[in-house]
Amino acid sequence: MAERRTIEVGALARVEGEGALHVALEGTAITDLRLEIYEPPRFFESFLRGRALEEVPDLTARICGICPVAYQMSSVQAIERALGVTPDPPTRALRRLYYAGEWMESHLLHMVFLAAPDFLGLDDGMAVARLHREPVERALRLRKLGNRILATLGARPVNPVGVCIGGFHRSPDPATLHALAEDLRTERGEAEALLDWFTTLDVPRRPQDVELVALRHPDEYPMNEGRIVSSRGLDIEVDAFEDTFEETQVPHSTALHSRIRGRGAYLVGPLARVSLNRDRLSPAASAALASVADRFDQPDPAASVFARGIEVIQAIDEALAAIDGWAGAATVPTWAPRAGEGMAVTEAPRGLLAIAIRGDARGEVERIRIVPPTSQNQAQIEADLRALLPQILDRPHEEMQRRCESAIRDYDPCISCAVHFLDLRVDRGDPCDSA
Amino acid sequence: MRLRVIGVGTDWGDDRAGLRVAELLERRLPADVGVVACRNPGLELADALRGVDAAVVVDAVRSGSPAGHVRRVEPEALAEPRAFSTHGLGVVEGLALARALGCAPARLAIVGIEADHLGGETLSPAVERGARAACEHVLELLADLRAMQPDTGGAARA
Repeated sequence: MAERRTIEVGALARVEGEGALHVALEGTAITDLRLEIYEPPRFFESFLRGRALEEVPDLTARICGICPVAYQMSSVQAIERALGVTPDPPTRALRRLYYAGEWMESHLLHMVFLAAPDFLGLDDGMAVARLHREPVERALRLRKLGNRILATLGARPVNPVGVCIGGFHRSPDPATLHALAEDLRTERGEAEALLDWFTTLDVPRRPQDVELVALRHPDEYPMNEGRIVSSRGLDIEVDAFEDTFEETQVPHSTALHSRIRGRGAYLVGPLARVSLNRDRLSPAASAALASVADRFDQPDPAASVFARGIEVIQAIDEALAAIDGWAGAATVPTWAPRAGEGMAVTEAPRGLLAIAIRGDARGEVERIRIVPPTSQNQAQIEADLRALLPQILDRPHEEMQRRCESAIRDYDPCISCAVHFLDLRVDRGDPCDSA
Repeated sequence: MRLRVIGVGTDWGDDRAGLRVAELLERRLPADVGVVACRNPGLELADALRGVDAAVVVDAVRSGSPAGHVRRVEPEALAEPRAFSTHGLGVVEGLALARALGCAPARLAIVGIEADHLGGETLSPAVERGARAACEHVLELLADLRAMQPDTGGAARA
């Protein structure tokens, strides 16, 4: 009889929120593999019903402390479509600047504190800080710039509140923006140096047969607008999101699993964005991609850290373009409540964030549906682990566990967001092995 | 000698206590003592501590004491840093990061003000009184920190 073994990670470290991994093996066959999300469900979609539309951007922003801008951008644009409100061009530019700030903060923290320990064989971000002070300081300086962007447009850096239907509550002061631009220009070299440091680390290779999905815009690197495209020819309007992607409940998770109808798992996030939008990168980001081009020949979730590094450079250039091209005070269009539906899909740091909303004639939420990136990636994370495990079955238990956890972290899962979503348990059925 | 008072907090209820102390002390400190407000201690305490010879960190605490109670907290008595998630970093993690980066001064004191409720936009009256009492405590600590021999390496004794 084949040997039965388990891998159990009861509380996944260096991911956002509470989850676990359970793997059961019989010989070399995986009999069970579950990325378990046990963080309690949060019922945002239920308690937002009946709330005023203008409250929704700030309320949904509280879903996540790392990507509040994503929730604000998807929800406010869904509401604007429902109400027939069109923001003016300066607002559009400021929204790109605002999103760039969030990409910088989120990517940089993941790169040095969550991902780097895996590539250095260290336990945590503190050890990285002790032993590799320069790159950590560099990332922290760059993160601060992202933080300044959020504070400038969101009125405060944590739980920002600056977004309103049609624009921002307050237009930023041009002098503040120009000071920011000057610092961004100075620090872009730092972002390049940080990516260079990651290219010297032992970043594994784990190419996958996976469909990459991201937004694509006719002229720009995608953030707030574009069509949804994939590496296998999908090309749809965002309004077709709900018809194209389906979510299913799985018993082991408080997050829903997403699939492309009739096709299966897919991958969203920085790797998909960079891969599908190479020709939309800024010259500096494009040069950065060229320096790691071989890591993008095939979809490889392990190369996500490079995609994040490239996007930090891109975000700096996006922020600079938004500030340099800013035409001055944005005006907020007036709006009146009306019954209507709106759908928006934007590129959160971790990938597509879809929000569909239906408002009633009184300007209250009748229905809202929120599909965060981590729940879209969940099925793909499990598929990735199913592909990885057969290659590492002969490795010691601890190493198997570490490799599985590291693979999960490549997706930078945000479990707190996905709960509408880790610990690893590998079940090999052999008491000697289930340490 | 360069000294700094760092008021840690958020804008929510009694969690403002550390920020309130920074605000109250701003005009009361000698020229060589800087005051900063720190709203994201996990990632920004290291920066706030950088480049000074001694620092006092003031933050709201919850220990079961009466609201507004001011106490000296020994850095060693703080809980272990939590597993590093970028979502929830506090003073403990911020201090650990500052030490890892080598930018925590050897002379460091932490003052805690017992919080009552963490909602709303104002301090509860007992905590406002606590913040005022904490200012006096901070001034005494600064004098102690200043008097310490630079090579003692440890925290000042209150």
